Amino acid sequence: MSNIPPHKASEADKDRVFAPCRARCPVHIDVPGYLSAVAEGRFTDALEIVMQRNPLPSVCGRVCLRPCEEGCRRCNLDEPVAIAALKRAAADHGAYPLPRPMGTRPERVAIIGSGPTGLTAAHDLAQLGMKVTLFEEKPKLGGMLRYGIPNYRLPDDALDRDIGHIVSLGVETITGVRVGRDLNLDELAQTFDAVLIAAGLQGSRSVPIDGAHLPQVMTALDFLERSASGEKLDLGERVVVVGGGNVAMDVARTAIRQHAQSVDVICLESRDEMPASEHEIEDATLEGANVHCSWGPHAVIGDENVCALDTVRCTSIFDSEKRFAPEFDESELRRFEADTIILAIGQSADVGDLGINLTHRGSPIVDPVTLRTSHEGIYAAGDVVTGPTRIIDAIAHGHRAAAAIFGALVDDWSLLRELDLENTVLGEIPPHMSEMLETRRRIQMETVPFYEAIKNWGEIEEGYTEYEAAREAQRCLGCTTGARLAQEKCASCLSCMRVCPHGAPGVHVGGYMYFDMEACHACGTCASACPGSAISIEGCSPDEMVLRVQRALASPTIDQTIAFVCGHTRNALETLDPNARIVTVSCLLRVDESTVLQAFRSGAGRVAFSECDTGTCRFPHALKLVAQRERSIVSALTQIGMGDSFRIVGPASDEEAPS
Amino acid sequence: MIVVRRKPIDEILKMVGRHTRVMLVGCNTCAAVSLAGGQKEVDTLIELLSLAASRKGFSVEFSDAILERQCEPEFIEKLDSQGYDAILSLGCGAGVATLAGDNDKPVYPALDTLFIGSAQGFASWQAECSACGSCVLGETCGICPTTRCAKGILNGPCGGVKDGTCELGDRPCAWVEIYDRLESLGRIDDFGKTMPAKDNSISARCCEWDMTKEGDDS
Ligand SMILES: Cc1cc2nc3c(=O)[nH]c(=O)nc-3n(C[C@H](O)[C@H](O)[C@H](O)COP(=O)(O)OP(=O)(O)OC[C@H]3O[C@@H](n4cnc5c(N)ncnc54)[C@H](O)[C@@H]3O)c2cc1C
Ligand code: SF4
Ligand code: SF4
Ligand code: SF4
Repeated sequence: MSNIPPHKASEADKDRVFAPCRARCPVHIDVPGYLSAVAEGRFTDALEIVMQRNPLPSVCGRVCLRPCEEGCRRCNLDEPVAIAALKRAAADHGAYPLPRPMGTRPERVAIIGSGPTGLTAAHDLAQLGMKVTLFEEKPKLGGMLRYGIPNYRLPDDALDRDIGHIVSLGVETITGVRVGRDLNLDELAQTFDAVLIAAGLQGSRSVPIDGAHLPQVMTALDFLERSASGEKLDLGERVVVVGGGNVAMDVARTAIRQHAQSVDVICLESRDEMPASEHEIEDATLEGANVHCSWGPHAVIGDENVCALDTVRCTSIFDSEKRFAPEFDESELRRFEADTIILAIGQSADVGDLGINLTHRGSPIVDPVTLRTSHEGIYAAGDVVTGPTRIIDAIAHGHRAAAAIFGALVDDWSLLRELDLENTVLGEIPPHMSEMLETRRRIQMETVPFYEAIKNWGEIEEGYTEYEAAREAQRCLGCTTGARLAQEKCASCLSCMRVCPHGAPGVHVGGYMYFDMEACHACGTCASACPGSAISIEGCSPDEMVLRVQRALASPTIDQTIAFVCGHTRNALETLDPNARIVTVSCLLRVDESTVLQAFRSGAGRVAFSECDTGTCRFPHALKLVAQRERSIVSALTQIGMGDSFRIVGPASDEEAPS
Repeated sequence: MIVVRRKPIDEILKMVGRHTRVMLVGCNTCAAVSLAGGQKEVDTLIELLSLAASRKGFSVEFSDAILERQCEPEFIEKLDSQGYDAILSLGCGAGVATLAGDNDKPVYPALDTLFIGSAQGFASWQAECSACGSCVLGETCGICPTTRCAKGILNGPCGGVKDGTCELGDRPCAWVEIYDRLESLGRIDDFGKTMPAKDNSISARCCEWDMTKEGDDS
């Protein structure tokens, strides 16, 4: 039969259809959810959404390696939304939630290591009410976040904000204690109901070449840690960094700030093969590092002090099976003069003193699902298990460890099961839709110019202002957050089909409506037109709108104005009554008649609609409907003698629009 | 579909203002489809009436309910209006009437029923049928002169037509449209054939239609 309608995801299935950004995020943060909150200037709401999945928003907003952005559906249109920077905006401009653990439980959990893995597990378990004690060898918490990543990328105060919130959940912290040396693991296992090893990779790889033992040959981790601890190091004039990854770039840029006169980075890889991120290489180069590709360390030259590094040409790195097997042409030599050599060629696990079973790489052997080691009650997670990853992977592993520990101690495995739920990824923007969407470049963040930046350890990226953040977030297409249908409320009036600019709503034989998620970009036009209140758009349900108005009106005065402001124009904000209480919305169409009338009932003396500039309007097709909405509000209020209480403000001047 | 429109608030308030607890009942069929009687309009009207009532010093409490179709007793049975002293219906006239017949409390109309019509895109309708009981659309190519001609004449146009527009100035002349459509269908010869007067007693007399009654089935 030819008229069988194509299968469309049912409304229930749609909960597991993720926007590609969300699907690619290892912890599946509700990206479109928080971006839409930022787009409306609701930074605290945005932060809350982020923190449902990521307890380190301030950290990840700055230094996450952003797998999400690679998947952004805008990639095919112009460039991805600045997802990470907007997370930072949420953390910078929003208020952290108050610590509210879910009750208290008797179980006690010890966590070894306070990097992102340990911090995340501590957060989750404390939030679930367990008593958590974090053991950390270093004087302060944070792992590589504090002692690896340099301050100019992640300042201590930004890190401390996240850690402060986690500790405030009631996590006990014991620093300066190395488990395995100062305390033994068995003792911990007896005192606590569960122990999590989240020790990261604290060992550094070395190269077996002549002279590698000389005192001016340092490891990256040692060098970065001493720098991060505020030590002023005497590196001499010439520094050679060995390695082609991000750590090598951090080392090079840190060496520049430690007053090295010249910094040469040498790596085995060709420029295209370098594992470091492109922008890290560019920034390091801009700051003065010279990157030399396809050279392999051959010998350190010097008797008591280093004076050079001899290298040979590296002709290839991988064998035919893509295994690491570098080949050299020893006839081509190059000497790099050096006073200090810093090796940034990889880290390894350093947990031999804990007395648990290890792989040949020195990592604890664990069950891949529960992360339990061969010992009852002892778990391991994060880089110590997986080898080097990214912060966000470590966070994901921290969640898994917490869910598994909770499962084992409480015999409730739902959290762990949830982590393994399948999801489907929303497809690309259909061609008919991309033709309709305007291209809009990413809003550039202010940065300290490199010649200033290298003078100190201050953060280079300044972060978005609230306005910039809202504007950038408005580039998000709201993938998967758009129209959801409550079939039982639908009257099959077809209004949604008639108003949608993208042809997302459709109707099956029998009058049943469906919505094509790929075509919908969450403008909300259909929901505003639906007489059955059958369509919902994430983040702007009638109840949420009422709550926002009430929050804005907290302790209203009698002639208080509530201004619904389209977040697309700043001018409007400036022309409004300075005492007006502002509710920013992505489109005025999200404010329906009931919301306006309820604002009066909640105590507002006047209501204003502050319209956007048509030039910056995100949903131009909605303009006509907004005008219709305004007429209908004016007419209703006029009928009850309140016509004067509603005002329409244009974008650039505060002239009242004719009603 | 039956097209409806909300009455002015003052008129509604005059009816319900003297009560203390009023239930607003929407209809999720024609009234919803003509954007005047669905959940959204019920919610809006509650807000509007509450605001208006409090400004006038009335204390009326409003609540809401939606019926699938107000003109069906079986749907109405589900309505629990206990504790309310009046019902405000957001249905067409048939809905109001059915609700009123099934209730021991006053039922008021919040809407005016305009016509049987067709949708012309979003939020716009065209009157198409006056339920006269003796359809002539076959002769007029689907354009109802009783409904769309201002005078309802069966053999038009009258002398008031000018450049295809009715002398009222608010609509195209139905008879010019009928002419054009007959012509485009190659039926222009049918134009000008005098139509006999309609039997207006049919709509006047036809106060019910019950197929189960003997003699009523055709
Ligand atoms: C220089 C550098 C820069 C990086 N930059 C980025 C970046 O920009 N973006 C990104 O996503 N990732 C980056 N990474 C990777 C990221 O930092 C790691 O993947 C992540 O920190 C791993 O987290 P973890 O909690 O498993 O381990 P760690 O962060 O290493 O934390 C482990 C903690 O355990 C403590 N510990 C170890 N053994 C013991 C013991 N026996 N007793 C008590 N405490 C112990 C350690 O002191 C440490 O504090 C970078 C890594 C480095 C080295
Ligand atoms: S447009 Fe927004 S929701 Fe869609 S993939 Fe990009 S960031 Fe995610
Ligand atoms: S606008 Fe609402 S009631 Fe009308 S067809 Fe769409 S979903 Fe159904
Ligand atoms: S009108 Fe907007 S929200 Fe509704 S289906 Fe179309 S694109 Fe999505």
